Amino acid sequence: MRVTANAFNDSLINQLNVLTSRQYNLQNQVSTGLRISAPSDDPAAMTNTLKYQADKAAQTQYGSNIATLQTRATSIYNVLQSLQTISSRVGELSTLASDSTKSPADLNNYGDEVKQLIQQAAQLANTKDAATGQYLFGGTAAGAAPFTVATDANGNVTGVTYQGNSSVNKIEIASGVTVAVDIPGANTSGSGARGLITDSQSGADFFNHLISLQNDLASGNTAAIASTDSANLQKDENNLLYHVSSNGVMQSRLNLAATITSNSSQSLDKMISDASSADVVQTMVQLNQAQTAYQAALQSGAKIMQLSILNYIS
Amino acid sequence: MLGLFGTLNMAARSLQAQQTGVEVSGHNLANVNTAGYSRQRVDIKTSTALPTAVGPEGTGANAVAIQQLVSAVLNSQIQNQSSTSGYWSGQQGALQNAQNALNEFLNGGTSTSSTSSSTTSSSSTGLATQLSGLFSAFQSVATSPGSVSARQALIGQAQALATTFNQVGTQLDTQRTSLNASLGSDVDSANKLLADVASLNKQIASAEFTGGTANDLRDAREQDLENLSHLTNITTSTGTGGAVDVTIGGQQLVSDNKLLDTLKTYDAGGGNLLVQTATGGVNLTLAGGSMQGTIDARDGTLATLQTGVNTLASTLINQVNAVHSAGYSLTGMTGANFFSGMNAATITVNPSLADNPSLIQASGSATATGDNSVALQLAQLASAAQVALNGQTFGDAYNQSVADLGNALQYANNQVTSQTAVATMLSTQRSSISGVNVDEEMTNLMSYQRAYAASAELVKTVDQMIQTVLSIKT
Repeated sequence: MRVTANAFNDSLINQLNVLTSRQYNLQNQVSTGLRISAPSDDPAAMTNTLKYQADKAAQTQYGSNIATLQTRATSIYNVLQSLQTISSRVGELSTLASDSTKSPADLNNYGDEVKQLIQQAAQLANTKDAATGQYLFGGTAAGAAPFTVATDANGNVTGVTYQGNSSVNKIEIASGVTVAVDIPGANTSGSGARGLITDSQSGADFFNHLISLQNDLASGNTAAIASTDSANLQKDENNLLYHVSSNGVMQSRLNLAATITSNSSQSLDKMISDASSADVVQTMVQLNQAQTAYQAALQSGAKIMQLSILNYIS
Repeated sequence: MLGLFGTLNMAARSLQAQQTGVEVSGHNLANVNTAGYSRQRVDIKTSTALPTAVGPEGTGANAVAIQQLVSAVLNSQIQNQSSTSGYWSGQQGALQNAQNALNEFLNGGTSTSSTSSSTTSSSSTGLATQLSGLFSAFQSVATSPGSVSARQALIGQAQALATTFNQVGTQLDTQRTSLNASLGSDVDSANKLLADVASLNKQIASAEFTGGTANDLRDAREQDLENLSHLTNITTSTGTGGAVDVTIGGQQLVSDNKLLDTLKTYDAGGGNLLVQTATGGVNLTLAGGSMQGTIDARDGTLATLQTGVNTLASTLINQVNAVHSAGYSLTGMTGANFFSGMNAATITVNPSLADNPSLIQASGSATATGDNSVALQLAQLASAAQVALNGQTFGDAYNQSVADLGNALQYANNQVTSQTAVATMLSTQRSSISGVNVDEEMTNLMSYQRAYAASAELVKTVDQMIQTVLSIKT
């Protein structure tokens, strides 16, 4: 085939173009660590990468939700523990006061202690979540403190009113899976999450039972204490126990969910890497080959371009 | 027999022929780098033999023609290939710009999370990250509905998403406009080339009227036809007097030396420009070339992409607003929309929410402001199949748009690469027939020079013979 000088030059230019663009691509891959960067490089891999990244963002968010819930559950548990302490003490007091041989002075002392315990319990029930600044036991009515204590002139507690509601928020911890960690202060509807203080399902009504105990102690009615108050307070204690064990179950469920999310994240990371990352070793080898080919093309081209009959016609 | 003066005449004619050879070689050498030049060759033929007593005697040589070495078959193949190549280049250019407008690229980077801090993964710029960020922000508000910082973060994320949508929507619109403009300028170039072809037809006809072939003019016309094929597919046929008739899309535009009609763009509706003949007003369907490539990219892939992004934006606006307006804010207000706007270019976050994040309606009940049911519903939109998006979720629908664009561009890239290979092969073939080889021309030059010297010798010899004859008398 007849080859002209220009055909040779054009072909050399084309080859050099192909080689330099190959080098450019490979060098890009090595320095960014990515095999693909634009959708046109590999549309299927790009789609997969975008999907995995979205999944990973979702998993990260679930992890953050779970962490918030774990902190909340711990705060709730701390309050439950303190309430349990109060409840045991009150149980002791009612047992002691059931003894009809106790003197009025003793009963008065017990009464004073019960008053203090009511205030303490109300304060605990009005705990705020340190992270969000919301009341823990108000249900979804977040505004004011859920429990208000009304006292008379002598310091006797006349009533404790609940301003919250009985609904609790559900939070997503995995796709389509929601949990509720909160405990409403009171639930008198007979269904839904059981109330902390007042619950119609279990018959608990902590503050009212405490007020009744306080009043019976003040009036010296040991018979009522022995029969009614003790039994009522036992219901409250059982309710608290229920919440403590629920909280424990919830915390271990949250821990498991956190582990699952973390494992998901890691495997998604690997999938993203498989779809989009460059194998550095392989790319370096290919870059080396491209560079060698480029050098060879330049050298051979230069040699041939210099030869012409004009060199030899004197 | 020729006789002395006849021989002298033969020598003179030979000198002329060889000189023509030298001139043609010189012309070839001068044009070694001229684009589209086909090498020329002198046709030297023996002149008519004289009958003599001992048989026909040759009377030397004459330069009868200067012909160019072209292959008409190869030229028409190159024209076709130029059309195909132009078509795919046009598509590639338009789609490349669309991909840049969409701005969905991967950046290498190390992602740090509480779970894995040493794995290298990539993050993307563009709508994908912003969309999943929006739903994550909804989740944060659902987890802590009373937290003002979570609400502020949601506003920030929503505004970032809206801005990204705006940019993509506007860029795609600008794309469309600039494709229309480039179509217009292509049509102008095509018209210039058509006028040029008609005028060259005229010049070739008058140059060849007196005999011979107008080689350089034909080369120029061939170049024009190839450039025209790059713009649109043409059909050529031979007219009278060596003219080339050009037909585009079934309409004859050049006939002999007359330019019958030119091309013009017209609005086919919706701001999309197409091509028609200027005076005849016949709408043309072009078969190849960069004009059709631009049109197909604009009305096909680019239009689908724009529709996809706009539908995504409008569905997002509608769905989010439907859920949000039924909720209650921290102040107990209801009925406000979260997003305003209609499509990608106009989507914004409701300014009153942006000013006061506590007006975000996350609660499902007017009385319980700490409720999160509406916020939870908003967050769960991420995995909800949307009817307006063919039953896909937001993320999946967007990924589909990206993949469609990526596939189209990848296909165009591959076609351009293979067409370049074909073009290179055809051009090598053509240069092997028509290209100027400097070594060959130098050698020819030398042989014509030697022949010239030899004929000069003949002149000298005959001159001496004539002098000898003349000296017989003196």
